[in-house]
Amino acid sequence: MTKKTLEIYSVELSGTKDIQQTDKGNGKEKYRGLKNCFEPRKNHYKEELRKEVDLDDHKLSIKELEKKYDTNIITGLSSTQAAELLARNGPNALTPPKETPEIIKFLKQMVGGFSILLWIGAILCWIAYGIQYSMNTSSSLDNVYLGCVLALVVILTGIFAYYQEAKSTNIMATFNKMIPQQALVIRDSEKMTIPAEELVVGDIVEIRGGDRIPADIRLLSVQGCKVDNSSLTGESEPQPRSSEFTHDSPLETKNIGFYSTTCLEGTATGMVINTGDRTIIGQIASLASGVGNEKTPIAIEIQHFVHIVAGVAVSIGILFFIIAVSLKYQVLDSIIFLIGIIVANVPEGLLATVTVTLSLTAKRMAKKNCLVKNLEAVETLGSTSIICSDKTGTLTQNRMTVAHLWFDNQIFIADTSEDHSNQVFDQSSGTWASLSKIITLCNRAEFSPGQESVPIMKRVVVGDASETALLKFSEVILGDVMEIRKRNHKVAEIPFNSTNKFQLSIHKTDDPNDQRFLLVMKGAPERILEKCSTIMVNGQKQPLDKNTAEAFHTAYMELGGLGERVLGFCHLYLPADEFPETYTFDVDTMNFPTSNLCFVGLLSMIDPPRSTVPDAVTKCRSAGIKVIMVTGDHPITAKAIAKSVGIISANSETVEDIAKRLHIAVEQVNKRDAKAAVVTGMELKDMSPEQLDELLTNYSEIVFARTSPQQKLIIVEGCQRQNAVVAVTGDGVNDSPALKKADIGIAMGIAGSDAAKNAADMILLDDNFASIVTGVEEGRLIFDNLKKTIAYTLTKNIAELCPFLIYIIVGLPLPIGTITILFIDLGTDIIPSIALAYEKAESDIMNRKPRHKKKDRLVNQQLAIYSYLHIGLMQAVGAFVAYFTVYAQEGFKPSILINIRVEWEDSNVNDLEDSYGQQWTWYQRKYLEWMGYTAFFVGIMVQQIADLIIRKTRRNSIFQQGLFRPQYWFVAVPFAILIWVYDEVRKLFIRLYPGSWWDKNMYY
Amino acid sequence: KLFIYNPTTGEFLGRTAKSWGLILLFYLVFYGFLAALFSFTMWAMLQTLNDEVPKYRDQIPSPGLMVFPKPLTALEYSFTVSDPESYQGYIEDLRKFLKPYNLEEQKNLTACPDGALNEQKGPVYGACQFPLTLLQECSGVDDPEFGYSKGNPCVLVKMNRIIGLKPQGEPRIECTSKSENTAALSTYPPKGTIDLKYFPYYGKKLHVSYLQPLVAVQVSFNATSSTVNEVTVECKIDGSPNLKNQDDRDKFLGRVVFKVTARA
Repeated sequence: MTKKTLEIYSVELSGTKDIQQTDKGNGKEKYRGLKNCFEPRKNHYKEELRKEVDLDDHKLSIKELEKKYDTNIITGLSSTQAAELLARNGPNALTPPKETPEIIKFLKQMVGGFSILLWIGAILCWIAYGIQYSMNTSSSLDNVYLGCVLALVVILTGIFAYYQEAKSTNIMATFNKMIPQQALVIRDSEKMTIPAEELVVGDIVEIRGGDRIPADIRLLSVQGCKVDNSSLTGESEPQPRSSEFTHDSPLETKNIGFYSTTCLEGTATGMVINTGDRTIIGQIASLASGVGNEKTPIAIEIQHFVHIVAGVAVSIGILFFIIAVSLKYQVLDSIIFLIGIIVANVPEGLLATVTVTLSLTAKRMAKKNCLVKNLEAVETLGSTSIICSDKTGTLTQNRMTVAHLWFDNQIFIADTSEDHSNQVFDQSSGTWASLSKIITLCNRAEFSPGQESVPIMKRVVVGDASETALLKFSEVILGDVMEIRKRNHKVAEIPFNSTNKFQLSIHKTDDPNDQRFLLVMKGAPERILEKCSTIMVNGQKQPLDKNTAEAFHTAYMELGGLGERVLGFCHLYLPADEFPETYTFDVDTMNFPTSNLCFVGLLSMIDPPRSTVPDAVTKCRSAGIKVIMVTGDHPITAKAIAKSVGIISANSETVEDIAKRLHIAVEQVNKRDAKAAVVTGMELKDMSPEQLDELLTNYSEIVFARTSPQQKLIIVEGCQRQNAVVAVTGDGVNDSPALKKADIGIAMGIAGSDAAKNAADMILLDDNFASIVTGVEEGRLIFDNLKKTIAYTLTKNIAELCPFLIYIIVGLPLPIGTITILFIDLGTDIIPSIALAYEKAESDIMNRKPRHKKKDRLVNQQLAIYSYLHIGLMQAVGAFVAYFTVYAQEGFKPSILINIRVEWEDSNVNDLEDSYGQQWTWYQRKYLEWMGYTAFFVGIMVQQIADLIIRKTRRNSIFQQGLFRPQYWFVAVPFAILIWVYDEVRKLFIRLYPGSWWDKNMYY
Repeated sequence: KLFIYNPTTGEFLGRTAKSWGLILLFYLVFYGFLAALFSFTMWAMLQTLNDEVPKYRDQIPSPGLMVFPKPLTALEYSFTVSDPESYQGYIEDLRKFLKPYNLEEQKNLTACPDGALNEQKGPVYGACQFPLTLLQECSGVDDPEFGYSKGNPCVLVKMNRIIGLKPQGEPRIECTSKSENTAALSTYPPKGTIDLKYFPYYGKKLHVSYLQPLVAVQVSFNATSSTVNEVTVECKIDGSPNLKNQDDRDKFLGRVVFKVTARA
């Protein structure tokens, strides 16, 4: 055990080195937690961690400790001392990762995306007004207004985006503060409960089973204490603690309890030696904040898109500025053209739309137990191509469950589903009766009281994992276990310990005719078998011969090979003559037989996969997502679970499997034949990045076992080198660097630590892998739908832009005004483009490959060209026809409009002649121009309806996708006609009979 | 670089010759079609138009007023009496403008009865004579310099043509000097009358030789001695209930304001 942990830590250190490499640039501010005590040096992280780990409090005697921390283990600190220390060292809590100040976040929204272009537009407006004002003090304020409108647009969309962001962050804030931790501390010779945050170095704290250890503590006295260090080491086995100094390394020694680990059972008293960020976990957590937060794929896509549009806007703007100037336009006019071009080109409402779309999806996902912290992560999940999944709790139910039984020379399968409801194995055999009795009696686990109404599987149990499994198993099958135990009174007991490797108890039986004591024993199968001379088959005792021993071994190997924890069970009825009812059993001298027992059966347990997982893994597969298991567990268990959930598919083999099948050495196997690979942390440690890359590309089914959480980071980086979008699930503090490094970090909502939740982008509220699949589906859908939204929005940009270009070159009266454009972009177009977010998938999106990060862009050339140069131009042409129609019908035929601009806009020309010889004042023309705006606007609008309909699908016919059935539009038509007719009648009578009763009542 | 020309694939700017050919062909056809469609719809739309009368006249229910000649900047006439160059432009413009009003030119026009609308049924629409003599001092007959050389410049005020407009009452142009007593204004024809016989107008195409009725305003400054004489004149249509002369936003609807500056 100790050896193994040692290895994990040495790997961890090289993991740290890795972080350093990736983040050399600005490590200075990031490794906050460690920098406190040390000057930044070139490789200070590694040294620091080691140095910090070199704490020697575990080597000191209690007296020395008391002296060092100026405390007393009986009376504790005085409250004044504690207050002083608290003031000096700060609260005992992990500093949350540095938040970007709200104002910075807000300002970022103000200048991000198109905002900068719009600011330029607004400033140009004001400059234009300035020029106008300097020439003519009575110039119109139109440009100032336009500038203000543009600025307002930026500010409002900025506030909106900020609000959306803040909303999703707030969900997290409430999430974090759910359980304030308490600690039992001795101060001023009194036991008191204080919030764990107020603990200081030197405090004497008491820990009980179930508590989270509130700080790094040196254990002073211990009673049967076991801790779960999984959040620190990824080690799922409970680890015993004692007050003795057992190992040089503070991480190995048994007399130290670490902050945020859980005490599973027993009690202990300890002295606080480190608090807050100075704890071991605190240091690792602050390493996590050193891993750069990757930009989300959708953020990259949107940036790409913004670049395209901004590029188009700026280049067209400048081109036409130059053209305008060379066409002898005044600079002022040219500036106004430039503003128009910018406004026409920038889809002002789009980023807000995208935010709304994402938050709608985030809401939908939250309902399906995926809580999205970062809105952009919604899409990231959709583009995920590799999921690095944790095993325990995510793929599995995170509780030991009886999976197989072996008795009567037969292996039986127990139901491992979430509720155990369907136990189908044969329970008629006499052997089962005996076995069930042993299972029930030789078990110290108990249900916590007052849970009668709770389903058995959900009840809280006091006891370790395998005993809990056995208790629940027997409770389900046999009914009230506590009652059975009461009836079979326990007279003696030897609890399990690692030297004996068995557990034994002696009971009076509930059979009134049988005065014999029953000795029941369970333990490591080989140990149990050693103690047996007979075996029970079909309820009958039989001598244990070679054949049965052989059968036992086969069964044991088979169950062990499934990665299951196997226990052996045996019993012995103590002869009544030797052990009369009054006999006193002494467990220390063992005045009873512990050999020549009767072997009854084997029972194997596993943390079974969640029932929804295999299906989810298959779905991931068909969606082209590679699922990699990364676990700290044993390779055999890992492989077994991987096989049962389909991460390693039924017919694929590892190199080792092939070697075994062909009876050749592992080295001789052609590596290309194997599809699957099980890699342990130790193998991984020796791999170069190139070898890891090769491994990741060559095998489609990979299980990493015995990995330290730090190695997760290496694996994630390896995957990212393949251009994959990597999702990582994790729950421990040590997972947080990997969670942060991943394109999308997924933390477990139930089992996850706060550090993991902080580092993650998404939280699975039910810890269930299957929820990820729903997330993937939503993410892919949103990508498709965003594409549609953007295509829809971009189309009209050309129709808005062309008027300006034609206006400058051909000199027509301006077809559409800047404000009108804003009205389209921020008014009429917003709701349709949000509506596209609700569009259902065109085909089975879960049957295609994840998009390629670099190749499948959100906005690609085809989309831009199709929107701009095909549909957009058609729209422009359509709108121009509408515009020309209005002018022609009012008297200005297209031929006369060409180059009319200067006269048209001259307010001193008040007798401009149209095609029919009529003469127009300036204001009359202006009015006509506004009518032209309206015509152009309506022209765009009408065509945008068609555009909206075509954008519903990209491949399917719109009729395949389904539209709101057209006949329904006409259902209410008769009533519409009725309204109309009725009102005409009303007005008719009012006109016919003025002053009548009708008129008085009906005229408004 | 490779992007410009890739010898292995034969790609030029990222496309092979065939691809370029196809894409050019596609856009040729596509835009050709689009241009044809545009032309067709425009043609179809123009077919629906009446050549003689525009389909709608709702945007110009009431005529605007305008002055002639058109000054260079805004509506400010400024000239120096002693410097013929400074008003040469105005005079030339006026002469050119009044050319169709010559007796010679008006020979074929009908002498219509005064004070009544000249409604016609077509198909040939005749125009009424507008004898230049009505403008008296400003006709350019007696004074080819339209008073500019004497420091009493003439400015023509005209009402915008609107097809089918039938003024009611007795429309006339009423001009007032905004600056008190600096100048006397005389309008020709007397009272600035616009005779109804010039209405309605039937449009450029039908009413080919139509002559727009004019009113001339002559500004005579009282104090000829002073070096600079300035006057702001406002002219309005008056006497006709359906011709508006008061609109908050349209400063030229039935009225016009101009300034005359004459230097000695």
